This record gives sequence, structure tokens and C-alpha cells, in this order.
Amino acid sequence: MLSRSLLSRSLARNAKRASGTLSQARRTFVQPSAVDKANIVGTPASVDDSLFTPRQDMLGFKLEAVKSTEKNRPIYLDMQATTPMDPRVLAAMMPYFTDMYGNPHSRTHAYGWEAEQAVDDARAQVAKLIGADAKDIVFTSGATESNNMIVKGVARFHKEKKKHVITTQTEHKCVLDSCRKLSEEGFDITYLPVQSNGVIDLAELEAAIRPGETSLVSIMMVNNETGVIQPIEEIGAMLRKYRGVYFHTDAAQAVGKIPINVDEMNIDLLSISGHKVYGPKGVGAAYVRRRPRVRLEPILSGGGQERGLRSGTLPTPLIVGLGEACSIALREMDADHARVKALSDRLIKGVTARVEHVVRNGDVNGYPGCVNLSFSYVEGESLLMALKEIALSSGSACTSASLEPSYVLRALGAAEDMAHSSLRFGIGRFTTEAEIDFVIERIVGTVSKLRDMSPLWEMVQEGIDLSTINWSQH
Amino acid sequence: MASPTRAQVLSLYGNLLRASNSFYSYNFREYFVRNTRQRFRAHQSEADSARIKALYEDGLRELNVIRQAAAMNRLYAGPRLVVEKSGTPPSPYEGGKAGEGGGDAS
Ligand SMILES: Cc1ncc(COP(=O)(O)O)c(C=O)c1O
Repeated sequence: MLSRSLLSRSLARNAKRASGTLSQARRTFVQPSAVDKANIVGTPASVDDSLFTPRQDMLGFKLEAVKSTEKNRPIYLDMQATTPMDPRVLAAMMPYFTDMYGNPHSRTHAYGWEAEQAVDDARAQVAKLIGADAKDIVFTSGATESNNMIVKGVARFHKEKKKHVITTQTEHKCVLDSCRKLSEEGFDITYLPVQSNGVIDLAELEAAIRPGETSLVSIMMVNNETGVIQPIEEIGAMLRKYRGVYFHTDAAQAVGKIPINVDEMNIDLLSISGHKVYGPKGVGAAYVRRRPRVRLEPILSGGGQERGLRSGTLPTPLIVGLGEACSIALREMDADHARVKALSDRLIKGVTARVEHVVRNGDVNGYPGCVNLSFSYVEGESLLMALKEIALSSGSACTSASLEPSYVLRALGAAEDMAHSSLRFGIGRFTTEAEIDFVIERIVGTVSKLRDMSPLWEMVQEGIDLSTINWSQH
Repeated sequence: MASPTRAQVLSLYGNLLRASNSFYSYNFREYFVRNTRQRFRAHQSEADSARIKALYEDGLRELNVIRQAAAMNRLYAGPRLVVEKSGTPPSPYEGGKAGEGGGDAS
């Protein structure tokens, strides 16, 4: 309120000043001025910029020209890239950012003890969310570090006897790249394909196992681009038959969103990220089973903290935040899930009822908070450009800088043009109905406008059969 | 502490709603208001006095957390979201200093 009234006051002042000194500079269409003057004098402050700047719906203009300092912020629908931090998490962290600054590894004074206590409490909170023992949790800087530590660590520890690792084609880049590094070191990696719904074939996985040679199977729980949920419990049960094959799952997108129990699912290693569970960025955790013991070669050498697996002073405030985020997630998982599901259904129904030729990518029984839709005859990038009022991503955040179609969608067998025309809608705890309705309106309007400009769409309207793509799963 | 009276519970409900409404951020405000309503409705016909007492104590703790969280949230107010109705200030505390206004009677 305060800022708004200040703003309008200063605008009024500007306008007064402008009308005094610049009124001659103001041109109208019926009063052409000399060219030299027009070049020197810009637009006076009193003139509404939006008269000159192309609006977002003026497609065909250079859309980058739209000012980024717009009056209002876009709504956020990119929960797979990161989630906003729950304000209750920040409240829990603040004491450790201010007065309680002790090093949790200091054993000789109260500053250290209180920090250690906070870390222990957080460890228990994280463990509880995944049904683990608190002693099995190792704090890291995020899921990228956890994945690196686990994939490289387990493989390298067993490298004398076992040189085979299995993963899937749709893993996050940090798992795929860790595997690429391993293959440079002489390991043999199997990248399992997925079926067209994004789920792996259990029989295919079992056939890929080389008893006595395979040390690790790494399969993500929830995919970050499509929301596809892998049958982790079935995989875990099947892998139990093969002794010495450890089972890792990257649960960065699953923790706090779907129920996880490392014992029931027979998971040996698991990766957690703080900023995907409404916690802080720069912190995460790895679950490393102690009974039966899973051994891995640490990447960091140093003071031997975290069972020697991850040396370095623990960031107490971040860890407290991760713990609090996990505790809230456990308490509110059912309510959150029901709500996210309702919003997701509302979005899918709202869009498919009014836009033709929309394909949902990935298994329909995936995590509802990740809705990946392809709009035929529309470029995903132009769609994103035109939807400046919505913070969205096409493909995953890390690959969206490049114009290559998503490797995840390609692995699902999506045609290149469909992979190009996909958008990912991430719905979360703080998303509202009003936001979903806003998105539906914008999507419907923008897609039809873009299609009206597309020659392909014109041909489709004339009944020309362009291809034999299976248009819809609905 | 004895079991809370009806007036105490209603006062807690009002305080929680006020505190939830004092978030500057649209998404947090909407969420906490909705959450508070839902939780009180879910336990509307709770009869077990021990359970009521436990819920009440949880609520008091939650109230503290939400007040702190909302106060910090107001310190870093940014531009409004495109879905917010402009011109309707969501909370009477907006623009006030943290701490003052965030609290309320009782
Ligand atoms: C499935 C998955 N794994 C790992 C990561 C990386 O997590 P972090 O940012 O905590 O390193 C992400 C996030 O982008 C993810 O979605």
C-alpha cells in the first residue's frame, strides 16, 4: 500500500514536470515532427510506455522487447525446478543463522552442543519421513552431491570385482553424468530404455543384471520432467534375489510427496534434495543403509564427519531447515497430495476441454504435481515466450537453456516435434485454484493464437492427414 | 493446563486466521488461511477433552510460528502476482514494521 501510494505520487510529480518541459516533445500521430527532433527526444515519462512496447499478445513482434520489470510478478508453476521455501522452515532456521552459531562438531562447549542437538533432531526428522534409522542419514549439499557420492562411491568401492552399473535413460543429468564418468574409468554401464509411458520393464531390468558383476542399480523414484513413478517396491523386491547388487533411488522429486519406506521398498541408498521439499537450497541428504552395510568410497577426504562419507563442517541452519521441511511434509503429505491432485485434474480437464491435440507425456498414474503436456503444431519455446505471466519450463530446468528436445521425452518415444512442443506444469503446496484458472485461460488463448499463425495447423483444419501420431491418451 | 474453554479455542482460531492473513505473499497467505480453516473444521466435533487440549497446545505453538514467519515475510515484500486483484490490500499490516501489527489482541 505504502509503496503503491508513493509510486503514484512520484508518477504524478513526474507527469507535472514532464508537462512543463517536455510537452513540446510529445508527438501525436497527426502532428509529424522533424526527424532530427524525434531522434533526440525520447518518450517523455508521462507517456504510457505500453503504447509503444509490443504487448505479449502481439505475436510476431520481438517478444524479448517486453520489459521484464513489469508491474506484476508471473505466477510460479515450476515446482520441479525448485519449490518456494515454506515460511515455517525459515522460522525454524533463523535462530541458527543468528545467535546459535556453534559448530556442531565442537565437543567442548555449549555452542557446539546446541548445534549438535539441532543436527541430530533434523537427522531424525529426515529419517522418519523415509522410514529409516537416523544413523543412516548423511547430510550433503543436495541431491546432485548425494547422487555423485552414491553412484561413483559404490561403483568405485567394488571396482576390483564388479564393474557393471545399471541405470535408466530417463535419469537426472547428475546420475547420467556420474555414470559417464564411471564408463571413462572402465566401468560398463547399462542404460535401460523405458516404455512409452516412461516406466521401465521389470523383466528387462532383471535380464540386464549380471550376477557377481553388477554392483549398483540406480533408478529414480519420480521423474523430474514427466512425473512418472517407477515401481520402486517391485524393483526392490526383485533385486533382493541378487546378493551384492545394491539398489539406489534418486528420490529428489519424491520425498515428501509420495510415501516412502526404505525397508518396505528394499532400498539400500537414496538421494534427497532440500529445495524440492519446500526446504532450503544447498542442502540434501543421502540415505546409506548400515544394516546390512552398504560400503562406498567417499569423494571428499577430511575431518571424517558423517561416518567418514562426507567430510566438512555441517551447515547447521540449512540442516535444521531440511529437517523442519521433512517434518512438515510428513505431517501434511496426505492433505498436500489430495490438493495437488485436485488442482492437477482441474488443469488437465480445463486445458483438454478447450484445446484440441494435446498429449499428456508420461504415465497418467504418475505424480500429479508434474503435468507434462505437448501442444501439437506449436513451438514450446514460442509458447513459453508468449506465456510471460507464467513461470514454466519446457523440459527440465537444466536443459531448457538449449533448444534440443528433452532426452527424457525422446526416451519415451515422443516424436521430435512433440518433444519440442511440450510444457511442464509444476503444481505444489502453495498453488491456488485462481492460478490454475489463470493458466488455463492463458494457455487456451495463446495456443489458438499461435496455431492460427501456423501453416501446419491450417492444413490440419483442411483435413489433410499429416501423420499417424497417436494424439491423445484420454 | 486444564482443557481450553470454547472461548479460548475460538480466540485461537481468530488469532491464527489473522496471523495467516498477515503474510504478504499471496501463495503463503492463501495456503495458511485455507489450512487453518480446514484444520479447525476437521476437529469441529472433537469430544475427547485430552485430544482437544493437545490440539489446542499445538495450535498455540503454530500461532507463534506463523506470526514469526509472516513477520519475516512482510519484511521482504515484492511485487504482486498477476493473479492478485490490484488495489485490494490483503492485510491491514502491509507496509507496517515487522512485529507491530503482526500480533493481535491476546
Ligand atoms: C530427480 C532429480 N535429481 C537430482 C536433482 C538435483 O538436486 P539438487 O539441486 O539438490 O542438487 C534434481 C533437481 O534438479 C532432480 O529433479
